[in-house]
Amino acid sequence: MTSFSPELRQALSLVQKPGRYTGGEPGSVYKNKADVDVRMAFCFPDTYEIGMSFLGEKILYELLNRHENWWCERVFMPWTDMKEQMERLHIPLYALESKDPLTDFDIVGFSLEYELCYTNILAMLDLAGIPLHATERDESWPLIIAGGPCVCNAEPMADFFDIMQLGEGEEMLQQICAVVEQGKKSGWNKEQLLLELAKIPGVYVPSFYDVTYLPDGRVESIRPNRPGVPERVTKAIVKDMDSFVPPENFVVPLVGAVHDRASVEVLRGCVRGCRFCQAGQIYRPFRERSPKVISDSARVLCHNTGYDELSLTSLSTSDHSRLEEILDRLNAWAEEDHVSLSLPSLRVDNFSQSLVEKTTKVRKSGLTFAAEAGTQRLRDVINKNVTWEEIERGCRIAFAEGYTSVKLYFMMGLPTETMEDIKGIADTAQKVVDLYYSMDHAKGKGVQVTISVACFVPKPDTPFQFCAQDRRETLREKQKYLLSCVHSRKIKVNYHDSATSVLEDVFAKGDRRMGKVIETAYKKGAFFDTWEEYFNYDRWRESFAECGIDPDFYNYREMGLDEVTPWSHLDVGVSHAHLVREYKKALRAETTQPCNHQCSGCGANKLLGGPCFDYSQNSIS
Amino acid sequence: MITVRIRFRKVDEAAYISLLDLQRVFHRILKRSGLPVYYTQGFNPHIYLSFACPLSLGQESICECCEVKTEEENQDFALWKETLQPLMPRGIEITSVAPAVSKVADIDHAEYAVTVPASAADALDEYNAAPAAMVMKKSKRGKKEMDLKEFLPHIDYQPEGDELRFSLMLPCGSGEAPNLNPALLLSYLQQKSEIPPWLCNVTRVKLYTKNNEEFC
Repeated sequence: MTSFSPELRQALSLVQKPGRYTGGEPGSVYKNKADVDVRMAFCFPDTYEIGMSFLGEKILYELLNRHENWWCERVFMPWTDMKEQMERLHIPLYALESKDPLTDFDIVGFSLEYELCYTNILAMLDLAGIPLHATERDESWPLIIAGGPCVCNAEPMADFFDIMQLGEGEEMLQQICAVVEQGKKSGWNKEQLLLELAKIPGVYVPSFYDVTYLPDGRVESIRPNRPGVPERVTKAIVKDMDSFVPPENFVVPLVGAVHDRASVEVLRGCVRGCRFCQAGQIYRPFRERSPKVISDSARVLCHNTGYDELSLTSLSTSDHSRLEEILDRLNAWAEEDHVSLSLPSLRVDNFSQSLVEKTTKVRKSGLTFAAEAGTQRLRDVINKNVTWEEIERGCRIAFAEGYTSVKLYFMMGLPTETMEDIKGIADTAQKVVDLYYSMDHAKGKGVQVTISVACFVPKPDTPFQFCAQDRRETLREKQKYLLSCVHSRKIKVNYHDSATSVLEDVFAKGDRRMGKVIETAYKKGAFFDTWEEYFNYDRWRESFAECGIDPDFYNYREMGLDEVTPWSHLDVGVSHAHLVREYKKALRAETTQPCNHQCSGCGANKLLGGPCFDYSQNSIS
Repeated sequence: MITVRIRFRKVDEAAYISLLDLQRVFHRILKRSGLPVYYTQGFNPHIYLSFACPLSLGQESICECCEVKTEEENQDFALWKETLQPLMPRGIEITSVAPAVSKVADIDHAEYAVTVPASAADALDEYNAAPAAMVMKKSKRGKKEMDLKEFLPHIDYQPEGDELRFSLMLPCGSGEAPNLNPALLLSYLQQKSEIPPWLCNVTRVKLYTKNNEEFC
């Protein structure tokens, strides 16, 4: 086994699932180091199985590796057993392809998908022997960068990164690599490099901004401290989804990933404007990929990977204006190629008979509907424009097609929520059970309705960013009350402890002072906080106390509508005025039309330089 | 219907692919290859694929094989090999693709090349001198105590640099037939003296039929 060092062999012989750490999967890219000018380590701060399910990495891996003189490799957070062995045997964190340590790279990039992965990022830097703070690193260290949705409030992690990417990486990351290549060839120092990088649309250099605070702890201002650095960083987007081909190669994992299938992104953004949903705001404006591009590249992808399942992904796939055409095109080859289609993220209100028929040719699994709230009043508050009649219609179609299991998603702790709304969750599930038994069904075959209840977390850049989170005691009471309202054995209730939601909100809405809390908790042994068995709330409480920071200030305090937010210098396209307007409408339980029906003036169309839809054509149902 | 045997090496990175994962990898690669392999005719058709004598995780082999079927006559199997190789993960090297001659059930024993650190010499001498070497063999039917010396009366090892090399011939049947993993011997030796497991290397080199002919 010549390609592994004796230390690595030793570590691999002592851990579970060594296949996570060996690389070499079909589709992985190997290059000759001598021919490469820019080396990037793409780090995912969670396990291999989760990271390998992430479409963003596959997109960027392919885009970067298309450049002959750049080499993008993959890095994942080693599981605890491997982490322990690597520390014991002094194996620095390495990239799977070359097995070279991260310190050999020009760029080390992290994907910020979820707030509770922040400690893993510190653990990975530490494992690689890279100083955590950006200020401790000169140009001899790799450029440590971040991207992903959590950058919309970059501040809690701002101390650790040299640059952070706001928005979509397809063009931005290639521009960054090009500047790094130029900087290397010209021998720039770090300051010169950062100044040059700051010119790229969407690139945020945290050290170029100073934050001042009011005596009461709120942010007073966030201002650039260098000339020529923009007051506000505006999100980068890909204007035309057909301007680049979706990935036609995936690295196909050997050790089973969570989503081990081909997937193609059909659209970006969301027209719905649900007021709790961060993704629905920060990925605006809505852009579709054309059916032909989707179908052609998906076919090549299935052929290149050997996957027999293709998933059409997006925030809301059924909102694609030409979904039927996409499905017709895909079905024209799918059966012959032994590929089955799956459509996650379907909406109950435009779920149709023909859609079911077109997607369940091969196998029937359960159906999931997101109702989000138990009563119509509360659904109007959150602008989840779904009615009971629509849920009933969707379930009726599903039951008629032979489905016997339905999952309903709800949230708890939403603004203006009362116990009446909690009872509504149980009532909705009961009505679905009753509907099943009122219809013709196979004798002896029962129905299973699962209610999954998440704790609501107010997120930046949403109309609910101003809201306080429900206290844990309140959430626990609501959970208890919900259980007491369920009277059928056909209904199963899933809910989580709220401690992780508390932390999620503090990081989501936190400011730059949060960095030392994250670092303190990491030094106390916090990592894999997303994994229940490693999450320790007391450790976090101690860390907040040691840093003199009150977490309640961030999640249990309502923010003023005119307050300077820690993310006020990061512009995702949606304007502050729009968020305020939507928040006020929410309190009046007034709904807002989806963007494709009527423009609500959120401001994101400035990123396109024109309207998102052609409203003169009344083509939308 | 022709049964086609794909023979391959499984070394380096690929030594860490488990059988379950390997099956999935081969399924995808065969599907991707577009070769006329036979699909089962059930409600969810899938490629007929069967592996013989799965290898332990972490061991290497230069004589692994699996079989698929095809209904097409007159196939160019050299072309099959050329088609499959570029699709394989690192560490898997196809050595041949050919119509099966013998049946998997004919596999009787296997030869392994083993290297251990030189420090294992005492433990090996002790093994050779001992009247019996009792080990616990785990199987689906539970644990069973057995004497390794019945199968390996003497280990003839050769020093090479700071390593010792020897070869083992062990039963390697499929299904109900007896099967012995070289790891049993290694863990026996490791009990007797300090031999770091990661310095021990096991490579399966050949599969034999009952008549002592090479399996192909």
